[in-house]
Amino acid sequence: MATNMDRRRNNAPSGGTHAPVFARTLREPEYLQTLRPTRARGQNELRRIYLQTGIVPSASGSAYLEIPSSTSISSSTLIKPASSLKIVASIQGPKPLPRSAPFSPSLLLTTTVKFAPFATRQRRGYIRDSTERDLGVHLETALRGVIIGERWPKSGVEVVLTILEGDEDGWWGDAHASGSGWGLLNVLAGCITVASAAITDAGIDCVDMVCGGVAALVRNPDSKDGKDLIKILDPCPVEHRDIVAACAVGYLASRDEVTEIWMKGDVGSDPDALIEGATHASVGSLSVVKEVLLESLQAKFQKQIENSQGAQKRKAEDVEMTG
Amino acid sequence: MATAASAPPPALTFPRPIFAAVSPHPFLQAHLSADKSAIRANGRAAHEFRTPGVNTGSLTHCNGSAVVRLGNTSVVCGVRAEILREEDTPGTSAPAAVDASGEVDDDEINEEGEDEIADLRLLVPNIELSTGSTPAHIPGNAPSTAQQSLITRIRTLLHSTQLLRARDLRITHTPPTNASDPDAAPESELKGYWVLYLDVFFLSLDGCAFDAAWLSILAALKHTRLPRAYFDDEYEGILCSDDPAEAASLNLRGLPVPSSFAVFEGRGEGEGEKGSDWVLSDPDAFEEGVCREIVTITVDQGTIRRVEKSGGGVVGRETMKTLVKRAVERWGVVEKATHGRA
Repeated sequence: MATNMDRRRNNAPSGGTHAPVFARTLREPEYLQTLRPTRARGQNELRRIYLQTGIVPSASGSAYLEIPSSTSISSSTLIKPASSLKIVASIQGPKPLPRSAPFSPSLLLTTTVKFAPFATRQRRGYIRDSTERDLGVHLETALRGVIIGERWPKSGVEVVLTILEGDEDGWWGDAHASGSGWGLLNVLAGCITVASAAITDAGIDCVDMVCGGVAALVRNPDSKDGKDLIKILDPCPVEHRDIVAACAVGYLASRDEVTEIWMKGDVGSDPDALIEGATHASVGSLSVVKEVLLESLQAKFQKQIENSQGAQKRKAEDVEMTG
Repeated sequence: MATAASAPPPALTFPRPIFAAVSPHPFLQAHLSADKSAIRANGRAAHEFRTPGVNTGSLTHCNGSAVVRLGNTSVVCGVRAEILREEDTPGTSAPAAVDASGEVDDDEINEEGEDEIADLRLLVPNIELSTGSTPAHIPGNAPSTAQQSLITRIRTLLHSTQLLRARDLRITHTPPTNASDPDAAPESELKGYWVLYLDVFFLSLDGCAFDAAWLSILAALKHTRLPRAYFDDEYEGILCSDDPAEAASLNLRGLPVPSSFAVFEGRGEGEGEKGSDWVLSDPDAFEEGVCREIVTITVDQGTIRRVEKSGGGVVGRETMKTLVKRAVERWGVVEKATHGRA
């Protein structure tokens, strides 16, 4: 514990703390199984997406994405249900690079992904760990190909993502689930979608809207020998006992281009099918993003039209500079 | 401003946002000294606070959570409870206090027991500003001085107001009967503590970071429910019951509410002349940038719990009295907001 000491923050007691253990999880395994969530949607059906732009007024662009968990919160137990996905993206810039920085002919993109300490079942630290850095790099690749950077020479932009709640790697009752990293693919897809919405909100020129999507191969629980695989879109790792392979993409729908692929697991002989599934999922989220952005643009222009109508009046209202 | 001043210089005019960016101080002064309607640049009167919006219980993995909005400032606070076992606590920390407080059920401050929270670090408050909430705090750097001082102020206020009771955080165990001496009353022994991690994330920062962070902590603690924890002889460890009916809320001591004020020192017309001063309630980021003197008064109902003042000497005894009055009025508003929807 002493190695994790962070002198600039408040630290936990030096003895270390433990997450509470619920008695029923140890004593009654059958009861536990009743809490296991199952997938109620169809194979090609996505979870509902909630998206809003412009939630951080001090940033040049921002967006909030929430994918609520499909399992209802049961009121009969304190054991935490499956988590939903909640991400805030905020864009700072583009702004001029400091004088000391070397010349850059195009926009310098910096992406930071950080889990909040309360984002996951295990508490996380404040210092960025390797998973978060990894996600940041993946996100940067997804966004870099989309932004038209040549229009901002000598400037930089910060894309900051805070994950308030992240998808889990698997059902918490399964011992093998934690650390498998299936949840990270969903987090990455969410990050791509929300960052892209925030970039559009900031008015940074892009070639297209990039959107994230995930598809997975899971073992069919109904089959007898368990060798039967089915492809599903937008997997919620909590709902599946055996995920064989999964793939997240950043996809430009109108250009039919992929800027980012992250594939995990045993894909088998046909990886293209999985990638195609993921692009289908991203097209689904794109439709939501488009609608939200159109709405926010309409609101913005409405304001501008009103302003220009009152332009004459405003001219008279210009403030005289005294003092 | 005009350099070649042979003819009467043309009046220099700007649209509002540019005036505010180019010369913030005269901009705010022009607003405040307007004869007819003296309002601040953000449309509030000098005495006006922003209405707090409180929303609790939105985070899955927390025992208690709150989202607080003060105008354009919005904060998320998550309270997470974990267990500190007794054998992991360094040294012996007043085990005698346990027996007393097991039975004594009053609102009096239990003097000997209250240091436990501070000594064992049972409260771990932390604040994160570099979430893109403001251009001044870019992630990737170590916590800034502003952030560190904010954390320290929050922690000292938590301890000095003694908001939490050590009794709520103790996990005790009473053995069923003593085999050798069946007549002896079973004595409860301390088995561990709940440690509360208070993580405050700023989503958007527009002034008054301290007030917003504290309000979010307060609202989250009010909403926090700890499961019933007990020592299990068979498991030889602390287990929790997942029955929501057995979970207990925290019994908070009062409701201390901080109110921040910024002092805007007006500039006089001539050289060396002093203009009038304004005390602005609940300043936003723009006003904080222009003002130097900041006063934060923490009140609970009618009593002052803490006064912080730095940066200047404008606020005297008389002004301080009116500020306390304003802070007490503010307490009523905040109390309603935290209770109304909690």
